[in-house]
Formats: sequence, structure tokens, C-alpha cells
Amino acid sequence: MTTLSTDVLVIGGGATGAGVAWDAALRGFDVVLVDRGDLAEGTSGRFHGLVHSGGRYAVKDPKAAEECIAENRILRRIAADCIEDIGGFFVTTPWDDPAYADRFKDGCQATGVDCEEIDPALSLREEPRLNPDISRVFRVPDANIDVWKTVWAMAHGAQDRGARVLPYHAAVAFRRDGDRVTGARVRGARTGEEIDVEARVTVNASGAWAGRVADLAGIEGVRVLPGRGIMIAMNHRLVNTCVNRCQMPTDGDILVPIRTVCVIGTTDEHTGDPDDHTVRESEVDAMLDDGEKLVPGFRQARALRVWTGVRPLFEDAKASDTSTRDVTRAHALLDHDQRDGVTGFVTITGGKLTTFRLMAEETMNAVCRQLGEHRPCTTQTEPLPGSEQREHYRLGERLERKEEHLSGAQLICECEMVTRGKLEDAIRRRATTNLDDIRRLLRLGMGPCQGGFCIYRATGVLHGLDGLSAEQADAALQHFLQERWKGIWPILYGDQLRQARLDDWIFQGVLGVAHTPSSDGDRSAA
Amino acid sequence: MLHYDAVVIGAGTAGLVAGARLAEGGARVCVVAKGVGSTHLAPGTIDVLGYAPDRVASPAAALPEFMTARADHPYALLGPDAVAESLGWLKARVEAGPLPGYRYAGELDRNLLLPSAIGALRPSALVPETMAGGDAALPGRVAVVGSRSLRDFHASLCAGNLRRAGIEARGLEIDIDVERADENALGLARRFDDAGWRAAFAARLAIKLQADERVGLPAMLGARDPHGAWSDLEQRLGRRVFEIPTLPPSVPGMRLFEILRSALRRAGGRLVIGAEVVDVERSGQAIAAVSTRAGGHDVRYAAPWFVLAAGGFASGAIELDSHWVTHERVLGLPLRGLPAPGEPRFVAEYLAEQPMARVGVAVDGELRAEGAENVMVVGAALPGAVPWSEASGEGIALASGSRAAELVLARAGGTPAGAAA
Ligand SMILES: Cc1cc2nc3c(=O)[nH]c(=O)nc-3n(C[C@H](O)[C@H](O)[C@H](O)COP(=O)(O)OP(=O)(O)OC[C@H]3O[C@@H](n4cnc5c(N)ncnc54)[C@H](O)[C@@H]3O)c2cc1C
Ligand SMILES: Cc1cc2nc3c(=O)[nH]c(=O)nc-3n(C[C@H](O)[C@H](O)[C@H](O)COP(=O)(O)OP(=O)(O)OC[C@H]3O[C@@H](n4cnc5c(N)ncnc54)[C@H](O)[C@@H]3O)c2cc1C
Repeated sequence: MTTLSTDVLVIGGGATGAGVAWDAALRGFDVVLVDRGDLAEGTSGRFHGLVHSGGRYAVKDPKAAEECIAENRILRRIAADCIEDIGGFFVTTPWDDPAYADRFKDGCQATGVDCEEIDPALSLREEPRLNPDISRVFRVPDANIDVWKTVWAMAHGAQDRGARVLPYHAAVAFRRDGDRVTGARVRGARTGEEIDVEARVTVNASGAWAGRVADLAGIEGVRVLPGRGIMIAMNHRLVNTCVNRCQMPTDGDILVPIRTVCVIGTTDEHTGDPDDHTVRESEVDAMLDDGEKLVPGFRQARALRVWTGVRPLFEDAKASDTSTRDVTRAHALLDHDQRDGVTGFVTITGGKLTTFRLMAEETMNAVCRQLGEHRPCTTQTEPLPGSEQREHYRLGERLERKEEHLSGAQLICECEMVTRGKLEDAIRRRATTNLDDIRRLLRLGMGPCQGGFCIYRATGVLHGLDGLSAEQADAALQHFLQERWKGIWPILYGDQLRQARLDDWIFQGVLGVAHTPSSDGDRSAA
Repeated sequence: MLHYDAVVIGAGTAGLVAGARLAEGGARVCVVAKGVGSTHLAPGTIDVLGYAPDRVASPAAALPEFMTARADHPYALLGPDAVAESLGWLKARVEAGPLPGYRYAGELDRNLLLPSAIGALRPSALVPETMAGGDAALPGRVAVVGSRSLRDFHASLCAGNLRRAGIEARGLEIDIDVERADENALGLARRFDDAGWRAAFAARLAIKLQADERVGLPAMLGARDPHGAWSDLEQRLGRRVFEIPTLPPSVPGMRLFEILRSALRRAGGRLVIGAEVVDVERSGQAIAAVSTRAGGHDVRYAAPWFVLAAGGFASGAIELDSHWVTHERVLGLPLRGLPAPGEPRFVAEYLAEQPMARVGVAVDGELRAEGAENVMVVGAALPGAVPWSEASGEGIALASGSRAAELVLARAGGTPAGAAA
């Protein structure tokens, strides 16, 4: 068994865990970051895409609102390249309690969320597809964020400072030395190989899985209730501003434009299993109906993809007084030295993507406390790699860059404008055979055709680099097709079904992917 | 208002075949279509039956049993003779067609096994001669030739899978100067039409080949004169050369379109593309006329017979809306093969059979649409098949187009106005 030795082992490579790794590396610690899947393949890669202004929580949860607006301002500085400054509206539709609008305004004022009431007519000029029957509109500083870009920027930044980043490595057992956690054993999903990671402090940043991971460490009562939500991406930006319903937070009340699509969401339903990704027809219907309320004609647009994510809602089963046994949406930092008398171990869960940096800061403060070392946090001011220019991402950026030499670079994915060079770089950099990893990195195959054209091309390129066998290439292609189907079949209707049929013809008819030699034992065909 | 003996809606394989054969039978025919059909996307091979569900070696041998076992399948309505007869018809039309020397090869008795662009072996009954040399039954080694400039074809992946299937194959890359980095097969096919360019290409390729190799190239050997281009390459290289179909657009598919269009025209039929059927005039149980919209104005077409060849979900003729209701959008006809209410429409495993796969326009035993006694339904609009997994799309289109023409001609025999000769 390979052994590694480090200062801080971080379990979970979502926004929170990657944020902890980045924070720790900036403080000069040696770090190992592991995730059982790809980075941001958990909730962070299955969220709604929004950097909250705080408006959503202004009435219901003022503390969360304050955290959101503070972090929103910081993220715009440090992660500029990952963020698009779309701005947001809170709109009162005919279905919303008109009295809420004033409470909303007061709440924003009290929590410091920038909020300006504007004439609905002006909002309709900016967003002509919005429901014309909206009665009040407030402008807030919502933004969207490309989470894969953010997480990888932090991971690369940490790597530049010596960190080791191990996607597809799950923590399977903990190292304990009496009342001390001294690291964990992780197992490579691809190789099955185990690595013994010795660490001065281990951080459990495994989100909705944090209870299970704490159990592994022998810590009791960390209960995380997964709250499942669905989101549907529509094939273009029906709005360019994030549109929120001005009401108490509920289902299907936000439409977020991000990259070339816009995303309607979401729902919240308790589920026993954080890996449960079922999508029910009733939920899809509800989202489409909610979309229709914000943008009439919503159902005529093409639904591209549906996914679900699980919110980590923390409940401390150890809190003796039942009245404080509160399920909270705020984040929970558990210093297991204080809570359980076990040193070398900290759990961070709950919270929001918007507040991942704050969560990471508090986590590393606790780690420093346990180590008795004072090292200040600098993530508030240090830009992530790629964001040094402090310029926000703009839609059209890729096109602009490509247009200069359209005839020079071979486009592999036209929908998302991924060139062959970019694809080859990414494959080399990630040393992966999983096209879905590449999809997350480059948005390959995320556009309207959902990979109909680019996936054969990408498979060919993948096969051509570093002598992948045809068998591995076929497996990569089939895996991608299956993964993509997961997000498509529950929302197949209209033009997207037409597209899917065309893709069936390409993959099953023209290419015959169901009949590559391994898949049906055609071996002796000649 | 324009009057015809028969109006065919749709210009894919099924519609063009029905139109040409009606015209050949003496009917005054007009084919109206929103656009071209899937000929421009599909490989141009006539796949009759490739999987049932195991790989079919001989469609002729497999069809009778298949028709009995699958009474709801289009082939069960058509019968084996119609299939065989239509293949013969097509071969003859290819020979008499606008592409000098170009032929289709193959028989219903034996499926050829042709490499796909990923190197899977596709069973096909009737294929362009330019592809036949890829048949896995042929002896000898294979050199699959691609180019880094062509993003739609990956030679070494194709060769790798052929090797796994037991064929000695290797991938080769050859530099091709392209004008645009996103050049597709059509752009390159135009180069292959140029004799000088072809000679230079052959010279560069020849030095890379080994003695007993046949050569597989992406399907782009000429758009105007494919037979000329292909046989010239075979001669220059001194060996068999064959085309391998790849991502759309499809050059061999466009050749098939040209062949069928010319058969229709030569027999006196008319083809109007860019004419979407937007309105229907009914008269009791029959369709009296359809209106098309093109360039902002409407034209009405009246006829005693209509052939619905508008395709299925892929062409947009059948649609599932966002309330999960399925419609036939051209004539508003009833459908068949829909999953029962509450049953899943799709299942989670991609390559499993999808419950929505067999949906089509409800017909009687003689291809007549339910609820419209003078409408014959053909091609991908028919219910009961899963053509992309059976490898049966073009076979169904060709045979049903032929059969519909035959049935209309037989029935129209007695009608007065413009009766078929
Ligand atoms: C439907 C939905 C929409 C949301 N929308 C928004 C929004 O718009 N804006 C916003 O700010 N917030 C939003 N959130 C909340 C936000 O997405 C989450 O709070 C945040 O992503 C949590 O990040 P995380 O890193 O803590 O958890 P995760 O991203 O889930 O990371 C945990 C990681 O731990 C890994 N892991 C689990 N077990 C192990 C193990 N044994 N070994 C190694 N690794 C392991 C998992 O693979 C996972 O990658 C939304 C949440 C949901 C559910
Ligand atoms: C990418 C692709 C790959 C394929 N590969 C294979 C293969 O490998 N093997 C195989 O056997 N088959 C393959 N096929 C399928 C095969 O081409 C079809 O099954 C077959 O051609 C049947 O076509 P059709 O003529 O019935 O309909 P289509 O070719 O779909 O034609 C429909 C026609 O109807 C027209 N139309 C639609 N709505 C209207 C309207 N309202 N008014 C007027 N006109 C209208 C369309 O414009 C079009 O002209 C493939 C198809 C595609 C798309």
C-alpha cells in the first residue's frame, strides 16, 4: 500500500472541500484532497448555478442573507473569471402574496442586501419575455458561477502550492490513534489500489455524505438529511437576468441564466439516500408550470437536461435538548475535539455554494486552533488562478475568441465551441478516459444536440491520444451515452425528442455503438 | 387548386420511391415536402433487417419467421415478396440513374457486414458498390485511412475495433489540406470529383500501403461522379477501395436522393421541396386536399389518393408535446404503439428498447390510415418497428413506398379522372 503524509487531508472535493484545500494551501499547509468521484460531481456540480444576493433569505433567515451578500461581494473579486454578472430581479407575479414585497424590501434593508425597486415596465424592457402581469420588481446583485471552473481553479491553485489532488479516491476507513484521528485510507475507484494517508488533521467536507463519513471515523450523531431538488436546463437564455419570485422561498421559483442555457428550479424533498437521483414526471410538470408563470410560453422552449442534487441539511442528534435539535440550512462546523473529545478531525457541512469560502475559512480556523498554530486566512483577497484580471466572464467570450481564427481551429463541439486543441489539452491534463469528466471541464456535449455530433469525434480524439485501446474508447463512449441519457429521458418532448431520435440514428444506426465487438460477441464476424 | 392523381407528402426514401413508382405506373403525381428527408443524413445503404434481435445473416431466410412473430411490424404488412421486388426495382433505377456507372450491390440472401466509422460491423442487404469492398467476409487485410483534418472520421479507432472483430486492420493518417477546419465529408467529396486532386491523393497514399491491403476511406469519394472517382482510385492504388459511412451529412445518402429524384422526374412526377403541409381539407372519411405553405403563400393540392411519407419523430411529423400528448402533425391521424397512460415512455437504460420507439400512424393491413380511407402510410411514419436497432429503416421505406404505389395504382384503376394507366 502506498502511503502519503500530509498536514491536512480533505475528504470531499465539492466547492467546500476544494475551498478548504485552497485556503489551507494559501496558509502554507501541505494538503491532500480526495473525492470518491470527480471533483464537483456531488451536490456542487448539481446545483442551480446561482451566487445568491441574499434576497432569497432576507425575510426568512436574515443571518443567511447577510452571509450571502458578504460572500457575493468577495466572490466577485476573487473568482471573477468564473462569475457572470447577470444581476437579479425579484418579481411579484399574480400568484404571489402582494404583501410580501414590502417585507422583502425591509428585509433587504435590514440585512444589507442591495435592493432597488424598479418600474415593472423597465424590467419588461430589459427582459421582454417576462410575464407582463408582474406588479412589482426589485433589482438585486445576483450572479451565476461556473462551479467546475471554480473548483478546478482552487484545486490547481492548491496543486501549484504542493497539494495533491486525488479525484476518484474514496475514504474507506479512518486511521485512529486513541482519541486522535490520524488520517484515512482511500481507495482508487479505477485501480482499486488503496493509499494510506497520514494527516495531522482530517477535514470531513463530504456534504450530504458527511454523516456516513463521520460514522466511518467512529463519530456518533452527525446526521445529514439529504434534501433532493430537481432542475431543468432549457436550450437558450429565455432571460438574461436571474428571475426570482418575490415570495417566501418555495419550489420552482428561480430561473437562472447560465452560459448558453437557463435553468428552472428547484424542489426540496427529503430522501433517505443522497445518491437517489430519481426524477418524477410530476416534478417535471411542476417545474414547467412554474417556468410558465415567470416566462409565458416556457413549455414551448426545448428542455435540454434535467438533474437532481441533494442539499446537506444538518441535524445534530447529539444535541441533548430537543428544542435545539434543529435542522438548519446554515452551515455547521463541528470541531470534534470540542464536541466529541476526538482531535485531528473537523466536519463541515450544510450551507450554500455561495458561502463555500466562508465555510472553508471557518474550517481552517478550527484546524489551526487544533494544531495550535496561528496562520491567517487570505482567501478574501487572493484571486483564484485565472481570475487575476478581475474581469467577469461574459457570454459570447468563447465565440469572440474563436471568431478570430475560425478557419484555423477544428471545432469538436459546435454547441459549446470546444476546439480540438482544448480537448486534447484537457484529456492530457486530466489523464482521464472518462468523457464525462471532460464534459464537466469543457462543457463538451452540453449544448442542444447533447453530444450527437461531438461525442464520436471526442472518442476518436481520446483514442488517438496516449494509445488508448479501442475497447477502452468504446467503453468511454457507451458510458457517456448512458450518463447523458440519464439526464435526458425524463424530459424528452418536443424538439428535444426529435433531437434524441436523430442521435439514436447516429449512434445506433450509423455508428452501431450497440454492436462494437465487446458488446455483442461479434468477435468472429470475419 | 392543383389536381393530381396522387399527392405524396414527404421526400425521404419512402416518399420518393412511392412518388417515382406511382409516376411510372402512369399516375400524375406530386411529391410535396417541407425539406429533404433523412437521405442526406443516413448512410445510403438499404438495411433490410440486421438484427432480430440477433444478427441476421440472411434477410431472405429470416423475414418469413420475423413477419409471423411480429404481426405488428411493417414487414408483416408488406410480405417478403414486396421487399425482394423493391430491391430489384431500386437496383435498376440506380443503373438507369444520373450517376454514370454507379451501382448498388448485394442480395436479400445475405447481409454484407460493413464497418461503421467506429469499426462496428453493420449488416446491410443492398449497398453502394463503393462500400461493398468493406464486407467482413472478404479476405485480406484492411487499411483504414483518415486524416487529422477531418474531424468526422477516426481511422485508428475504426481499425482498432475491426481488429477486435477478427479482421486484420490498421489505421493510417494522411495529410489533406482543407479550406476550413470544420470541413465535412461533402466538402471533401467535391475534391474527390477532381481528377487531378485525386491522382495526387492516390500517389501520397500508395506509398503508405502494404501489398495485400484493401483501403477503407470515409464515405466522400465523389459527389458528382462517384463511380468514376472510386474506380479511378481502385485503379491507381491497384486494390479494392471502399467507403465507410460516417457522421452527417452523408454523401452516399445524397447520391441516393439524386437517383430517386431523377426516377421520379423521368417518369413525369413533380417534386416540390420547401412546401410544408399546414392545412387539411377533409371530406367525410377521406382527405380532399392539403395546403402547403412556401415562401409566404399557400397552395392547395387535391387528389383522390394521398401517401403520407412524412417520417416519424425524427422528421417532426409525429410529436410528443410538453403535456405528454402525442400527435401526428401533418394530417392529424390517430397513432398506434403508444405506451398506455401511466406506463413509462422511456426507460433509464439507453440501449434498452424504449417504450415510445414503436409509435406510428395507425394503419390497416394494406397500409391505409385509420380514419382516412384514401391515405396510405409509408416509411418511418409506420408503427411497429425500432428501425435504428433492427437496422431496417431504409428497407421498410423502400418496400412500403413500393407497396403503397402498387396498391394505389390497383385501386385507382377504376376511378375516372386522371386514372392511372
Ligand atoms: C437543488 C439544489 C440547488 C442548489 N442551488 C444553489 C444555488 O443556486 N446557490 C447556492 O449558493 N447554493 C445552492 N445549493 C446548495 C449548494 O449546492 C450546496 O450547499 C453545496 O454545493 C455543497 O457543497 P459541498 O462541497 O459541501 O458538498 P458536495 O458538493 O456534495 O461535496 C461533497 C463531496 O464529498 C464526496 N464524498 C462523499 N463521500 C465521500 C467519501 N467517502 N470519500 C471521498 N469523498 C466523498 C462527494 O463525492 C462530493 O463530491 C443548491 C443545492 C441543491 C440541492
Ligand atoms: C442520421 C440518420 C441515420 C440513419 N441511418 C440509417 C441506417 O443506418 N440504416 C437505415 O436503414 N436507416 C437509417 N436511417 C433511417 C432512414 O433514413 C429512414 O428510416 C428512412 O429513410 C425512412 O424515411 P422516410 O422517407 O419515411 O422519412 P424521412 O426521411 O424522415 O422523410 C420525411 C419527409 O417528410 C417531410 N415532412 C415532414 N413533415 C412534413 C409536413 N408537415 N409537410 C410536408 N413535408 C413534411 C420531410 O421534410 C421529409 O422530406 C437514418 C436516418 C437518420 C436521420
